[in-house]
Amino acid sequence: MDFKFSDREELLRKSIREWAEKEITPRMEAMEETGEFPNELVKPMADMGINGVITPKEYGGTGMGHLARIIVLEELGRVCPAIPMGMQVHHMCTYALNTWGNEEQKKKYLPGLAKGETMGVVAVTDPSGGSDVGGMQTAAKLEGDKYIVNGRKCFSTNAHVSDTWIVIARTGEGRKGLSAFIIEQGFPGAKLGRKEDKVGLRGANTGELVFQDCEVPKENLLGEEGNGMNIAVRDIIECGRPGMASVALGILGATLAEAAKFANERTAYGNPISKLQLIQDHLASIFADRELARLATYRVGWMMDQGMRVDAESALAKSFSCEAAARAARRAIEIHGSYGIMKEYPVQRLLRDALVTIPAGGTAEIAKLVLSRAALTAET
Amino acid sequence: MRIIVCLKPVPEPRQWHRLMLDPETRTLLREGIPATVNPLDKHALEAALRLREGMGGEIIILSMAPRDTIPVLKEALAMGADRAVLLSDRAFAGSDTLGTAYVLSQAVRSLGEYDVILCGNETIDGGTAQVSAQVAEFLEVPNLMHVSGIEAAREGPFQVKTRIERGYRAIEIDPPMVLSVVKEVNVPRYVTMMNILEAEDKEIRVWSSNDLDLTEPIVGLENSPTRMADLFLPEKRRKAQLLEQDAEGQARVLADRLHRLGFC
Amino acid sequence: MSRIMETIESRIWVFVEHRQGRLVEVGLELIKKALDLRGPTGWKVAAVLLGHGISSLVEETLRYGVDEVLAADDPLLEEFCNQAYVRTLAEAAGKRRPEVLLLGATALGVDLAPRLAARLRTGLSAHCIDLELTDSGELLAVVPGWGGSVMARISCPGTRPQMATVKPGVFEMPRPGSPVGRTIHLKPVLDAKDIAYRVTAVYREEVRQSGLDTADVVVSGGWGVGTAENWGLIRELASILGGAVGATRPPVDEGWADEHQMIGTSGRTVKPKLYIGVALSGHMHHLVGIKTPELMVGINKDPKAPIFDHCDLGLVGDFKEIVPALIKAVKEISGR
Repeated sequence: MDFKFSDREELLRKSIREWAEKEITPRMEAMEETGEFPNELVKPMADMGINGVITPKEYGGTGMGHLARIIVLEELGRVCPAIPMGMQVHHMCTYALNTWGNEEQKKKYLPGLAKGETMGVVAVTDPSGGSDVGGMQTAAKLEGDKYIVNGRKCFSTNAHVSDTWIVIARTGEGRKGLSAFIIEQGFPGAKLGRKEDKVGLRGANTGELVFQDCEVPKENLLGEEGNGMNIAVRDIIECGRPGMASVALGILGATLAEAAKFANERTAYGNPISKLQLIQDHLASIFADRELARLATYRVGWMMDQGMRVDAESALAKSFSCEAAARAARRAIEIHGSYGIMKEYPVQRLLRDALVTIPAGGTAEIAKLVLSRAALTAET
Repeated sequence: MRIIVCLKPVPEPRQWHRLMLDPETRTLLREGIPATVNPLDKHALEAALRLREGMGGEIIILSMAPRDTIPVLKEALAMGADRAVLLSDRAFAGSDTLGTAYVLSQAVRSLGEYDVILCGNETIDGGTAQVSAQVAEFLEVPNLMHVSGIEAAREGPFQVKTRIERGYRAIEIDPPMVLSVVKEVNVPRYVTMMNILEAEDKEIRVWSSNDLDLTEPIVGLENSPTRMADLFLPEKRRKAQLLEQDAEGQARVLADRLHRLGFC
Repeated sequence: MSRIMETIESRIWVFVEHRQGRLVEVGLELIKKALDLRGPTGWKVAAVLLGHGISSLVEETLRYGVDEVLAADDPLLEEFCNQAYVRTLAEAAGKRRPEVLLLGATALGVDLAPRLAARLRTGLSAHCIDLELTDSGELLAVVPGWGGSVMARISCPGTRPQMATVKPGVFEMPRPGSPVGRTIHLKPVLDAKDIAYRVTAVYREEVRQSGLDTADVVVSGGWGVGTAENWGLIRELASILGGAVGATRPPVDEGWADEHQMIGTSGRTVKPKLYIGVALSGHMHHLVGIKTPELMVGINKDPKAPIFDHCDLGLVGDFKEIVPALIKAVKEISGR
């Protein structure tokens, strides 16, 4: 086991961090206020290699891999977690295309997504329920050489800021009756619905996609009919959960930095409060959470790069890291005393951001189902 | 155009709060603090990149540092330099600026012809701002410090702007030369993921004292003209000197101090 | 070990820079320091002036108590070229063998000293903030490292002269008196080849305002400023120093300053070289981030205000009198 990062990975971390600090920081106040994703950053991020990090070079990406992706998302999240929230879902779109797309589809869509011409969405959740994927109502009916899609997808990250949507819709009965489609925002009948006003990760766009007799060419079926459930589940396990865990890592890093800074600077009873044992308890807990979340999440990236299955590890990384981020942010607020609950200090935003990561990309409860299955079949 | 950029790895400034002074040995403990490119050297490299964009050529990174700073050279290569030469030898350790400049200048002689050597005015740790001028002296070429603007043509002199107190000098200078830049000269570009991957094939050569002709006895701790007699932590608290004159008198004292310090 | 030589030669040289017909203060500060330091060694102190048409500057320098002025007056020295100055000084130093050579760490000094030290194969301590001279004539220079978080004491045991550059404003200015020393005119040694580059223009540029994050100068006001009208004094002082305006929370609440100008744990972090806090108490959460200034100044009418625990220079009095007087004095001294 080698717990060291390579020179390449360290250099990647450093360069993303420098970029994020300079380019994202000035936009954060506006993002927090308006809830708008900064579209003007999409091309600059692509120029840095962020958008195509898991897209192979032949399709315009850098192909640096899943562990590199985690580092990138973590460093972006360290500055502003809303940004990697958007980027991680964008990666889910590129991952789905690259894994289940045919050559024409890959050639058509992946380069634009890697180069920052457009962002991607993966829309699974119907209003009928996100956890109950099999129960979805959004339907696609083949008529001639087109699928006609009707329905709505809600809570879709990047809905209003992207042109390339991977949408799961019902083409048959039951769980094996779902299929995946590549739908462009410009297709007839594809509309944008409401924009959500979230309590955290506010700079990430979350909204509704609406399909009213939407015409999707049959070449845009992704994979085979009936494979939609499998695609959705695998995309979440292999890309979505590690992505959310990485957002949480960013929040944890920022939380630790704020907590340590405040504890060192704030004085009470004549000394910095970092000398008080109960404050030290908070700090120790935040540190432990951050370190363990990192280990759990980095492992998933490494395993993906080795071509290993990551079902349990991915659910663990996501559920642990997001919970840890919320836990740590809460403790950081307590370290700040009354300052912690004032909007002018960043720690309250970190708690709100962490809370949003918990249901995003799959509820904590669903993750626990995965973990309990792993528990029952684990080698002991 | 052949450009050499002198670069120094320095401990990452964001982690300086981890620095500790060993009270017995009077040495600075820098364990675990990663190294990075000295900030002003990034500006020097950016200046080199722009010159190369304008008229083609080669950029060579030259650095005298311990072997474990090779990742820092990779960062410079990722920024766009073509290759790097690391001068590394225990015999170099403890050299002051004179010895360092001598080693660098002998390496430059081994590298052959060049048009310009670019450096940052000073490092963020030692901060002496001496090496670039001393390199120029050993190489017997002209040098300029505080460079805030560079215009070059394929042939002929460079037009260089240098910063002085409250103003600038515009200077015409012929290659080969040494230019030492200040922050104002440019904004260094970001290193992208693509740059990092491309740079992995670039050459890093390591030279030791055997590869260089070092006849002057000025290299290494024992041969340094300057010695560190003591290392200590400064008083953390500022001690306010409270003025006692009337308003006009106090104002004059402060204005005078501001003037001497160069603030007005 | 160097022996103290009984000689009429000056052993401590101070390079005195001049600009636009005026002596630059740091040279005079170093003259005073050299005179104060030389005690047990009994060494003579010389000021060294290079330039063209500098006889009145030489006269003026003599009034600061040096034993002699070594002057090189040559058209080729009129516009500073480092190699020409190095050659002139190296020849003189080679012949006369000073023990110590001090220069101000100005743009010119920082340009001249290292090349000269290399020419002479001697040691140079840069940007010193203190100097000591031992009984046996060893110069000990205190230099900051690591952004000022560590101090080193540097010696130059084996080579001569022992060179050091010193930051302006570190030592005190002497008062001029009657001239006591003599002038020695250094023989010209230069020819046109020594001018290694051509200065085509020299221009003054007015001090520019910068944003708070990158400003070298920050002037902050606090609750004690009192009214929006008085706040104008804060802005004027910042403007004349080419700096940015900062504030504590109360002025922001009152509307005199913008939210974006608030400095402190919940506001902006600033890294200026000069910070002036006017009519603010100086509580930790405002000052805590401000560690970088070379000079921190407090202006407050309460001598017990906490700001005075955190600054280098404290002006006790009514800012409504001090700040206008300061603005006026700054304008005068900088010739505007």
